[in-house]
Parts: sequence; structure tokens; C-alpha cells
Amino acid sequence: MMMDGIIVAFCCERSGYPAADLAGRLRLHYPENLRVIRVPCAGRVDVIHIMKAFEMGASAVVVLGCEEGACHHMTGNTRARERVRYCDTMLREVGIEKRTAVMVNISPNAPHKFVTAAVETSKILEDLREAR
Amino acid sequence: MEARIGVLICDCGQGMQNIDFGALARQAADLPGVTSVNLSSDLCLDEGTKKMVSLIKDENLDRVVIAACSPDMKEHIFRDMLEKAGLNGNLLSMANIREQCSWAHDGEVTDKAADLLRMAIGRVRLLRPVEHREFPVSTEVLVVGGGFSAISTALRLSGVGLRTTVLESEPVLGEGAGEKEDLHGLDRGSMIAAAERDGNIDILTCARIASVEGAPGDFTVTMRTDGTETARKFGAIVLATGFRTELTPGPDALIDARELCSAGVVSQEQLLGMLSNLGLEARPAIVGFLLDLADENSRFTTLATLNNALAVKSRWGSEVYVFCKDVKVDSEGTERLYRETRECGVVFLKCDSAPEVTVDNGKVRVEARDVFLGDDAAITCDLLVAEELPFPVQETEVLGSMFGVRLDSGGFYQDENVHLYPVDSERKGVFFVGGCRGNWDIVRVLTDVSSVVTSVCGLLCPGSIQVDVEKVRVDPQKCVACLTCIRVCPHSAIQLVRVDSGRDAAVISDLACDACGVCAAICPAKAIEFEGYRDDEILAQIEAVG
Amino acid sequence: MIIAERKPMEEIRREIAPYKKILVAGCGTCVTVCWAGGEKEVGILASQLRLAGSSEGKEVVTLEATVERQCEKEMLAELRDKVEGVDAVLSLACGAGVQTMAGFFEDKPVFPAVNTTFIGMPEKEGLWVEMCGACGDCYLDRTGGVCPVVRCAKGLLNGPCGGTRKGGKCEINPDEDCAWVVIYRRLEKQGRLDLMREYCAPKNARAVKRPGRIHAAKA
Repeated sequence: MMMDGIIVAFCCERSGYPAADLAGRLRLHYPENLRVIRVPCAGRVDVIHIMKAFEMGASAVVVLGCEEGACHHMTGNTRARERVRYCDTMLREVGIEKRTAVMVNISPNAPHKFVTAAVETSKILEDLREAR
Repeated sequence: MEARIGVLICDCGQGMQNIDFGALARQAADLPGVTSVNLSSDLCLDEGTKKMVSLIKDENLDRVVIAACSPDMKEHIFRDMLEKAGLNGNLLSMANIREQCSWAHDGEVTDKAADLLRMAIGRVRLLRPVEHREFPVSTEVLVVGGGFSAISTALRLSGVGLRTTVLESEPVLGEGAGEKEDLHGLDRGSMIAAAERDGNIDILTCARIASVEGAPGDFTVTMRTDGTETARKFGAIVLATGFRTELTPGPDALIDARELCSAGVVSQEQLLGMLSNLGLEARPAIVGFLLDLADENSRFTTLATLNNALAVKSRWGSEVYVFCKDVKVDSEGTERLYRETRECGVVFLKCDSAPEVTVDNGKVRVEARDVFLGDDAAITCDLLVAEELPFPVQETEVLGSMFGVRLDSGGFYQDENVHLYPVDSERKGVFFVGGCRGNWDIVRVLTDVSSVVTSVCGLLCPGSIQVDVEKVRVDPQKCVACLTCIRVCPHSAIQLVRVDSGRDAAVISDLACDACGVCAAICPAKAIEFEGYRDDEILAQIEAVG
Repeated sequence: MIIAERKPMEEIRREIAPYKKILVAGCGTCVTVCWAGGEKEVGILASQLRLAGSSEGKEVVTLEATVERQCEKEMLAELRDKVEGVDAVLSLACGAGVQTMAGFFEDKPVFPAVNTTFIGMPEKEGLWVEMCGACGDCYLDRTGGVCPVVRCAKGLLNGPCGGTRKGGKCEINPDEDCAWVVIYRRLEKQGRLDLMREYCAPKNARAVKRPGRIHAAKA
């Protein structure tokens, strides 16, 4: 089981992953609770992967794929977005309010956007905990 | 049989001061299946890799985890190193403890590094070897179309030694749609003659494609000529079906088409025809041009207008007025051309709104507010060369659905990436060039042609393509032939095939597959395995996070 | 094939509320193809139920299994051990599958997790459309292969109703094509428009006596 507060980030090898690398190279810091899983395309990420991450204790799951219209595999990123939305709905369906699934579209040369995504997701989690 | 995992940890020349490498190594050694843990400072350098190869052999390791820099940096080197040591290059998993751990966080990060290492070890246990094979390819190229871009491409391909077949749907080569190169003073006739003479170029007229199957290096195209169908093999296919234009007298056309014609509204091509046929006696005294009022982006119209305005001045000496919003001079040579045109006495009227085009006493009258005059300018023209909007030809859509390639919102072929892969379609081995992909500016068409020749050469000239064998594979026993993967594959790499038990199942072409995993994710029967990214391999990483 | 759709989550949870150990059972045929109840959906539903259980402090234990066809008794035998070990079965198969399971494992409650909706086909990936209502008295010969019973919102046999909207759309459902426009165009293409003038008598609503029972000719 995962420690409290872990964010599992599925990063597409053409967008999220290189953006994360670039953030590191520029020594841009973000919260340590992020665990990156590399995938060839955001479209490889399936609903069950996101659900299992939650079952293993993840507080949030972020899927990072290419910007709209820029997916090398045409619709991988749009499929991922739809699946992320479905997972988020499924969490709410069973009354889970303090965890979240988020889709982020990103370019490979946007390290600041990666950092923002990490920081904001951590912030969303904090807000979700405080509510109630 | 218990795995024998070798864990190699590199501190990148002591470039990661916030990781306790000793502690990391100790944690790794405790994990099941880990046979040896090794610390290094220069894993990617010659010395480092040599030591690694010996280690793998000496300890009889059967898979390797490397905790170091990002896989994007050196993964290919490390895979080669595994092969040198006698292991399949796929049996490697990397933990990114540098860019995504040490360098990304302040303070001590040994715990996170240990987590990342555990994730990589969890994954490496499940990895399976993937073989590589060289597939011989056909070095013949098919060019569909007979216009400027098609013929230029064929000539250049022949020049690099590739046999090319040009498929023209009309009875005579060059009769159909092209890129209107005559408007830029380029001579179609000599190009066609050169193509006809070229021993490496095969020209088929009255020919159409009936169907296409296969993968890059190995396409089977069934062509219909004179009612007979022939199937031929090609290594690459270039779609060069050109574009067409429609005359638009202005955004608010207040007059009907017939009135327009009799009032002297013509297209650029018609103007060219008149220039060669009409002598000075019959010349129109006042000639107007409408430039970028309906379509801001047309480089084609800008070049054509400038060239033709000059031609009118030199041949007829008429008064020439150009109504425009802006004159976009970003094509090579256009700025010089514009200056020349102005110096010749052509008047440019810059309008901030669309001009009114009416017919006045059988002549066409254009009225617009000129920005610099601050006043309305009305010119009654003997001849008005109207704007033309570019459209795709019908073939573009037909071939698009036949080939499984996308069209953009304008109906032209959608390139893979406007900067990186401008002439590639999403189907490997199928390219587009020129007008059919929305490039009507002759300079860009020429660039397209060079790009296509480079890409096709890169694909076919080595004579074979190296592929991963069954990296993504459908299990025919689990496949329910729902056709979902076939429909969603962005690279047209999957087909329904009769398997030995008399049922149909999906089969993925190793040559065409681009290893994205979209099919593996969507398969409702969980019948597709993507080596390296199988469900269990992904779940093992999730489970390993502490 | 048979098209089904997952039931709303509240219904499913209400069904299995009294039970702790559940077998989530999928079917490898129709419901797999229409993305409602195959191995994939079994995994997702089971995961969702476990998450629900742990978030409410009411642990739910799930077993997962998918057989090739739940409506074949022989294929259910392999589930015996799993069914034995659980308190209830949640089946993602169509009505035929759920009932076969329920009949085979009579002493265990078997609950449906999907609603069986219609017989249909994929218009494109992920979009299923109704084609057949299993009326037992097929009139497709008269309508150029378009069923007015299920594809016409009013089920008219001598349509159109006169309310067809612009663009050939249905009066009741403006997103759908008017079935009779589709029929007309189909017959027109085939040069069989004379069929439009032939009167179609009302269907025998009891063409299939419920419960249906077909005895196929012996081989």
C-alpha cells in the first residue's frame, strides 16, 4: 500500500516524460510525492490502471499526454482524457470525495507546466481533505 | 525459475549528492530475485559498460535494472550492452533517479529513489525478450497524381535510384489537378517530357487505385486500368493529387455567375490564357485584382497576382489596380516581386473591409475604402481577376478513406506534425506532397518534394527495415473479433485474418505497428499483449510504490 | 448481437449490499464485444466495489472470472469452486446468461450488473444502435432491410407518419433518421418502390409465444 499523499503520474514518452526530465535538468523543484510511470502514449493508460492505483492507496492519479491535436498516435490523448473523466466519475459514484483523477495536456518542452501540474494536484488534495 | 536480476546503480560522476547510494544499494540487495547490486560512477562510458558486460556474464544474470539518468539519455546504449552480454536488449528496466528524483527535489531523496528502484525491479521480473528481424522491402515507389508535385517527386526519386510508378487518372499525364505551377512561370511540358524519357519512371494513365493493403516496405496496391485490375507491390506511396480552386468575386457576391462572366470577371488561369491570345488591340484598359479579401492565408494567390500584374503591365500596359487587405510577402522572393510590381506602376489599394463588387453598364465595378486615402475608391474595370479559394479534389477524400489517413478541417491531408513530420501521414510509408496537403505556394511545394524524397529514401534505400517481432501481439484464442482494435489503430496496422481453427482474429503487422498501445488498452477481451507495457508490467510498478 | 449497458451504480450496490464475498462474473461473447461485461469490465467493476467497500469501512471481497458464454451450462462448470466460496454472484452477462447462471447455481443469489437493452450492431467503434426487436415475424423483405418496428419511434408498418422533420429526421427523436425515409431511399435505389404502395397488415404481436421455445430440426 502506498504512503498517504502519493500522486501516481502516468507520463507519455513524447510529452509528460520529457517535460518532467527537463524540469529536473533545470532544477525546477516540485513535491516529492510524485511517482512517474512511463507509457508510450497516454492512450495506453486504461481505466483499470487508474483504478488499481487508487486501490493501492494513491491519493491522486494524473495522466500526462500531448496537447490536443498533437498526439503522434492521433487520438491517444483524447481517449486518455475520456478514461480519466470516467474514473473520476466512478470514484464519486461510490462516494469517494477526497481523491481525484486528472488529465493534463502538455508539450515535451514545457517543464514549468509539469511543475505546475504537480504542485496544483498536491494543492487540490489538500483542499479536498480540508473540505469537511 | 527464480529470476537473476542485476541492479546497477550509477551516481553519474557523483552528480547526485542528495541520495545515500550505500543505503540504496542495501535496500536493493534485500529484494527477492536480486542477485547482484553494483555501484558505479560512469556506467554509460566505455569503462563502465565493459565492466557491466563482464558482470552480467560472470554472475549469469538474466535481466538488468539500471538506476541512473533518464532512459531518454542512454537507454539505447544500455540495451546494446545487454545484447553484447548475450541478453535480449528488452530485458532492461530503468529507474530515473536523476532528472526525476535527485535533481527535481530539495533535500534528501533516498526514500523516493528506493521507491523508483523497487518499481523498476517489480517491472523487470515480468519482462519478456523481444526479437528483432530485418524485413526486406520493395524499393518501388508509387506516386498517385500527375501534376507538378507528382512529377517533381517522381523525377527526384528516380534521381536517387528508386523505381517510381506515376498513377495518372486522366488519359494524358498532367491533365488533371496539380499545383498551378504555370502561374509561377514554371513549365509543365518540359517536366512531363523529362518524366516520359526517364527509364526509372513508369507512367500509367487512365489508372485508379481499387484497394491498398499492407505495411511500409510491403504495400500491395490493386490498380484499375482500362477495366483490368492488377496488383503490384510497393515500398512507399506518395499521394500528390493536387488541389482545385473556385472563383469568388468577393465575400458578399452581389451578382450571379453568368453576369460575372460577361462582365469580365476571370480567374488567374483565364487571365494567363488571355495574355497569350489577346493582342494590344483587344487589350483591357483597366485591370483589377482582388487579393486576400476572402482568404487571408493564400500564398498561392499572392504570388499569382504579383506575377500576373507584372505580366499585364509588360504585355498590355494597362492600368492595374490591386485591392487587398495586406500583401503577405513571407514566401521566398515575394518581397522583391512586390517591390518590382509597385515600381512598375501597379496601384495597391489597401482596404480595411471587403469591397463592393457590382456590375455597372455591363462592366464590373469595385468600390472600397482605401485606408491611406481615408476615402472610397471606385474603379470600373474592363477585367477583374477575382480571388480563388483552394479546395481539395474529390480524389483526396476517396483516397483518404481507402488509405485510412486523416483529412484536416479544410478537407486536405492532415500531416502528422507540421514541424517534425510535415509530409508523413499517420500510416507509415504513406506520404503526401503539395496541393493535396494544403500547400499551394510553389516554394513550399518544392520543399515538400525534397522532404518526401528524403523520407522515402530513408525508408527504402537501405533495402530492409528492422522491426521488433511481435512486440504488440493479439492472442488469437482470446480475440473475439469485435474489430475494435482494427477500427481504432491510428496506423492501420491491424487486420482481420482467418486463423487455423477456421475463426477470424485480429493480427498486428510488425512493420506497420508504431507501438503506441492504444489497441492494448481498448481491447475488451484483454487479448492484446504489449511487451514492456503489459497490464501486469504496469500494475507491478503501481504495486511497488511504498 | 445482444447489447447491454451497465446498471447505475446505486442499483448494483443495493443488490449486493447484504453480501460480503462476491464473484464478479463476465461473459466473453456479446457483452465483451459491446464493452459492457467482458473481462475488462469485470476488472473495473470489481475494483470499484473494493474501493467503495474500503472507503466506507465495509470490506468487500471480490473474485473475478469470465467464461466464454454464460448462457451455456457446460461452460459454467469451471466456476463451481469459485461460486462455492462466495456469498453471491454479480453477473455482467445479458439476461440469458444471468438466468442460466442462476439456474445452474440455484442455491446462490445471482444478480444482474447490466441491463440487456437490444439486439444491435456497432455504427462505429463504441456506438451501438438497435436493429432488431426479436418480434418473431420478420418483415425485412418488405422494407429493403430496414426494420420499422424498432427503428421507427412509433413502430409504424405503413409509414411515414407525416411528421418527418427537415433532413429526414424523426419527429419524436430529432437526432435519429426517420426510418421510413431510410426505407424509401433503400427501395428507390433498388427500384422496388412499388412495395411502398403495398399494405402491410398489423403484426401478430404473439408471433412468439412467451416463453419462447424453438425446436430446431434434427441434424
